[in-house]
Amino acid sequence: MTDEITIVVGVKQVPDDDEVRIDPDTGRLDRASAPAVMNRPDRNALEAALALRDQTGGEVLAITMGPPTATDVLEEAVAVGCDDAALITDRKFAGSDTWPTSLTLAAAADALGADVVVAGEETTDSSTGQVPPGIAAHLGWAQLTYVEELEPELDDGKLVARRDVEGGHEVVAADLPVVVAVAYGENEPRAAPLHRKLYAENEFEPMELTADDLGLDEDEVGMDASPTSVGGMETVDPVEREREVIESIDDLVTALEDEEVTV
Amino acid sequence: MSSDDGTVDVSEYSDVWVFVEVHDGDVMTVSWELLNEASNLAEKLGEDLVALVIGEDCDDVADEAIARGADRVLVADDPVFEPYRADPYGEQFRALVEERKPAIVLIGGTHTGRDFAGRVAVPSHAGLTADCTEIDVDEDGLLQARRPAFGGNVLASILCEEHRPQMATIRAGVFPAAEPDESRTGEVEHVDVVVEEDDTITEVRERVVGEMADITEADRIVAVGGGVDGDLKPAKRLADALDAELAASRKAVDEGWIEGSRQVGQTGKTVRPDLYVAVGISGAVQHVEGMNDSEVVVAVNDDPNAPIFEHADYGIVGDLFEVCPDLAERIEREGLTEVEQ
Repeated sequence: MTDEITIVVGVKQVPDDDEVRIDPDTGRLDRASAPAVMNRPDRNALEAALALRDQTGGEVLAITMGPPTATDVLEEAVAVGCDDAALITDRKFAGSDTWPTSLTLAAAADALGADVVVAGEETTDSSTGQVPPGIAAHLGWAQLTYVEELEPELDDGKLVARRDVEGGHEVVAADLPVVVAVAYGENEPRAAPLHRKLYAENEFEPMELTADDLGLDEDEVGMDASPTSVGGMETVDPVEREREVIESIDDLVTALEDEEVTV
Repeated sequence: MSSDDGTVDVSEYSDVWVFVEVHDGDVMTVSWELLNEASNLAEKLGEDLVALVIGEDCDDVADEAIARGADRVLVADDPVFEPYRADPYGEQFRALVEERKPAIVLIGGTHTGRDFAGRVAVPSHAGLTADCTEIDVDEDGLLQARRPAFGGNVLASILCEEHRPQMATIRAGVFPAAEPDESRTGEVEHVDVVVEEDDTITEVRERVVGEMADITEADRIVAVGGGVDGDLKPAKRLADALDAELAASRKAVDEGWIEGSRQVGQTGKTVRPDLYVAVGISGAVQHVEGMNDSEVVVAVNDDPNAPIFEHADYGIVGDLFEVCPDLAERIEREGLTEVEQ
């Protein structure tokens, strides 16, 4: 095992869910005006990847799968400190569910020579959390999900993580290579220095990787390789609420008593 | 890596499996919730409801699964399975799926369940739907895995037509847990363990798990959000006065103010108490989705435009650090008594 490792960090462009609200009258989501941003949990993934590089040396490469406009999130990744970045883009990838998505990202990690793949715990637009374990499964690598802290033990070829589990935590040592999904909000993402920002915006061009570049056949990716499909959408009637504004504690007490809340 | 397109002859696959998540002999409640709901699916399909128990020394768990509704239990019992690790569990599951060909596999949407499901769906080229809140089978026997999409009020039905098994992770708290009936009988089968410790690529060095709060059972809930700014005292006092459980939005959990087992909403739990008091919660769609079945909703927030007020019966626009203690003090002093109608 060499001392320096290659860390590949996956990021995704999603609609900004802070700008997305339910219209209480129709029950529909108003997302038309939501701008495209980097998936928030990915900021923690970037920070974890960069912090790991600070300890181990080596390089951090950002990848994203999406249309050319997704280059924006790669620029952000390079601005905060990634050494390089690759846009994984191909019409053949359209309609991918999590199975071919994780296959495609696994192939990219392999092509880039990754020792460690780092991702956010889930995306805010589809929130499945399935892709990091999926990448690990495709590659036959170890996986560490819901990770709060990372500690490299490269002499032994291991990465050690503190993971969040229901009701507590655990410490798990995984043999490299490994896929890490970082728990959302677990670290303080660093800001981009001005010179990196200028570089990312003005000079940087990401590598581009297509299905052919990754050695993926058309029938292995995209909609054809996706086991799941959306069968239908059903609008659930919005829950009727009183939406009554209460002015005083007395009025609230009365309201609760009317609702038969007793102590 | 897999290379074929993964489609299978779906007629070869039958039975509904529930993954029983067990840590050190303790079963996660969501597993019994799934057993309850899955029994309806198995009945509709005319197939067996099978509990899958992977762990160490889990005969008691297997018996309990029968008592709680399983027709059969498959037990993979070995020290390699305690504590949970994705790689040995995944390998055992893959072998079982290849040999037994289940049509449907349901898994609780805990961190462990999601870690497991994401891994095992890949080698079987299974269809996996995350965070479902409704499940059913249609007239063709196809699993309809329904999950909230685009915020709370649209349910998307996810189908898996040509791949098997049809897998889904299910949010905790959505279904009532199956009650044990000791008179039930069923078959417990110990399966061949296909994993050896030498083949594992991970090692759990430490596992610390404390009391787990079960907010899904609470009749009353006081939930805190970003507005409490790390100070839970006012909400705790109100919760005590109301005899309520404390819960939280994702923001409060991510900030580390409160444990994750108390999180309500997407990636947390669904709750349906008689009374839900949202304190300093803005009312993001992901949160509202998990509390919308509450009987009465009260919101306290200093921002009159906070979306939570659109999802509340009674809203107080004000400083929670004043409103909560005032309300708590009033209830402590005078109580709440039902009004004669």
